[in-house]
Amino acid sequence: MSQNPFAALGLPERPDLDDETVRAAWRAIAAATHPDRADGGDLARYTQASAAFAELRTPWGRSEAYADLVEQAWAEGRFDDDDDEPGTVPLPAAPAAAPLRVRPVSPGQLLLASVWLPSRIGRGRPLRLLIRGAIAAGLSLAVLALIPGQPAGPAGVAGLITWFVLTGRKDLTPPPER
Amino acid sequence: MTVWSWLRLTASLWLARQALKVTGWLLALAMVIAAWPLTLVTAAGYGAAWWRGWPPARLRRAAAWSLTMPAAWLAVAAVPADRLRTASLGGLRAWAHGWPPWPPHLTAAGAARTFALLAPAAVPAGLALAAGSWAWRNYAVTTGLGGITASAPITFDARQWKRQVRTAKGLTEAPGAVPLVASGGRIPVGATIRALGHPWHPVFTLPATACERHMVIVGATGSGKTNLMIRLWAGWFTATLDTARAGRGNRPLLVVLDCKGGQDARRKADRTRRLLYGAGARRVVIWPDEAALSLWALPARDLAVLLYQMIETGTGNAAYYADILQAVLTLAVTAPGGPPLNATAFLDRLDAKWLARAWSDGRHPREAALVHAAARHLPDIQLRFATLLERLGPALDGPGALADADCWYLILEGTREPSVAEAQALALTELAAHAATDPYGEPRAMLLAADDYSAVSGRVPLSNLYERGRSLGIGVQVSAQSWQGLGASEDERYRIAATADGGIFVLHTPYPEPLTALAGKRRVLDTAHKLIGNSWGDEGMTRELRAWTADPDLIRRLDIGQACYIHRGAATFVQVARPRPSPLTLLPPPASAPPVPRPAPRQVAGPGPWPPPAGPNLDDIFGPGGTG
Repeated sequence: MSQNPFAALGLPERPDLDDETVRAAWRAIAAATHPDRADGGDLARYTQASAAFAELRTPWGRSEAYADLVEQAWAEGRFDDDDDEPGTVPLPAAPAAAPLRVRPVSPGQLLLASVWLPSRIGRGRPLRLLIRGAIAAGLSLAVLALIPGQPAGPAGVAGLITWFVLTGRKDLTPPPER
Repeated sequence: MTVWSWLRLTASLWLARQALKVTGWLLALAMVIAAWPLTLVTAAGYGAAWWRGWPPARLRRAAAWSLTMPAAWLAVAAVPADRLRTASLGGLRAWAHGWPPWPPHLTAAGAARTFALLAPAAVPAGLALAAGSWAWRNYAVTTGLGGITASAPITFDARQWKRQVRTAKGLTEAPGAVPLVASGGRIPVGATIRALGHPWHPVFTLPATACERHMVIVGATGSGKTNLMIRLWAGWFTATLDTARAGRGNRPLLVVLDCKGGQDARRKADRTRRLLYGAGARRVVIWPDEAALSLWALPARDLAVLLYQMIETGTGNAAYYADILQAVLTLAVTAPGGPPLNATAFLDRLDAKWLARAWSDGRHPREAALVHAAARHLPDIQLRFATLLERLGPALDGPGALADADCWYLILEGTREPSVAEAQALALTELAAHAATDPYGEPRAMLLAADDYSAVSGRVPLSNLYERGRSLGIGVQVSAQSWQGLGASEDERYRIAATADGGIFVLHTPYPEPLTALAGKRRVLDTAHKLIGNSWGDEGMTRELRAWTADPDLIRRLDIGQACYIHRGAATFVQVARPRPSPLTLLPPPASAPPVPRPAPRQVAGPGPWPPPAGPNLDDIFGPGGTG
């Protein structure tokens, strides 16, 4: 059996082949060589193609097979540094069956969170939140009016803001996918 | 000494003692009144803790958060250097001016002003004092040192439980209190009612890794087990998907085995699907209603073993035929050219001519001889497998694979058709094991959840499934309606429960003792008082006792939706929150077309003619269009 599963299926040695291409190649060979055919088929060829298909049927498997080929080529000294042949370029990442949406952590997330805030309030318990907010705002104003110019005024407001944030969170509906 | 002088001395000493005591109380009262802002905050904190059933830790955290007040105070005061001194004295002056002249000038506004000035110090200190007082009260009553009557510890505990439950229920009703996943990839389960040994948090959360180990859930019908399980699945899925999106792990694959079946299972599956769509899943498939899995995708050797295990083989004399059966299956499945692609192809192979032709290439003389020896048994074997595969139905005849979806909800009719469900369970667990170890597939983080697995555990005992999962590195979550449902023997049950390193959830169940025993016991103090008449005297003794960490009587009394989580010798009672997806989740159209088509019912009663019809049409092997 050939060591090259791509060759066994008559496919180019590329890691980025799609599932359908690989499957179509295997079907064509299997239909022509299957031992259940009236003419007896070609068992050796069918076995070889089946093994190759088992290896190449997933993106992960193709990537691995391609990596093996490249490694083998390097070991045999078939590529040099100036060569443009396959294997001199870094291997692409194996594509997942379904694309993943990578969420980079950035300050922009804060902006995104603030964009969601009105919806989260509206879908949560807005009345309770309003009452909490009114209490915090009313007491803050009262504190600032009672002790104007004193450091205890902003301290009291800080305490009330802390209370509002800690207790008000649960009145917001969770963000998407949470 | 005369009697009169002795009486005078005694009376004087008593009076002196009483005077000292009264003076002490008066001094304490004076201090409490003098430090009235602190007293006010302490009383409010203590009262809130009593009324809401909070533990002292809740007050301590509030005290810690309120340190933002002195921090802000210092920040503001530090701006001009000379203002700090003025400001720090301002509070004292305000306090001093708040009193004299007493009482005509003590107005509400004055008191409020004084309180506002002292609040940055009074609030954290008051809350800390309240936490200390409340901790002492709890200690005194539970150890028997406090309370008026002998039944005080019991009454206190019962009342506090009611208040804790009320507070926990209130928290679970808040829309944002218990989301599907919390920060740090933790899975919120519900509001904490009471924590014994575990750190207390208002919302009880589990690390997602707990689901990736082994977890046991035991609860009677109607105890809220389904809600708990769905919440854990959705939480695990969301947390794992987040990890995968951040590039730190593999995509999740959730496989649920609902082993009771029926309409309830369908409703549960629909709920799970809606929730998982809300959690970011894109393909949730309900088997066998919507899609099929391919048994024939297993590696040839594994497939042969599985097919052998799916047939009743018996013991004694039957062992001889069992060996023949196994040999024939190995010959049929591992024939040159690869394993069969579907049930029809497999049944075709259980034919002497087919096998002889497949193995007569000259390179397999031993196999060819085996085919010859077993030839007369082949019709029987073929008949048995035709019957078995017919009973199993088309849902295991492909062409789907577990890796095709984010979640497979597999419904087994364990109540209606136990023998079929047992064989299906055997095949499905084998497929799950293959999905976890397939070297050619995309690596996935996998959770295998088996609900009421005892209904189908005839062929694969739960302990076997459990240990298999451990060896394959996949999380296994099993649920049962009772301790007895976990396994056939006491030994098996203990093996399952004792190795649940992801924890044990116990809901309302009439016999929780074996499970609660795993939480162990804790040291408690018990104080005995000498009774004089109907009241306590001033003598008694305190001794150390051992009490259940997870009280079985409390578990027997658990209401719907309440659970006790036992892990590492500690227990947390939790009010499980009903899982709801965020209404803000923007979904693409849910997989309108199932990932794999529902197969047409197979019309195979026996093997086809041999040799097969001539011509290149291989539709029976590859499906329609297979030759295209």
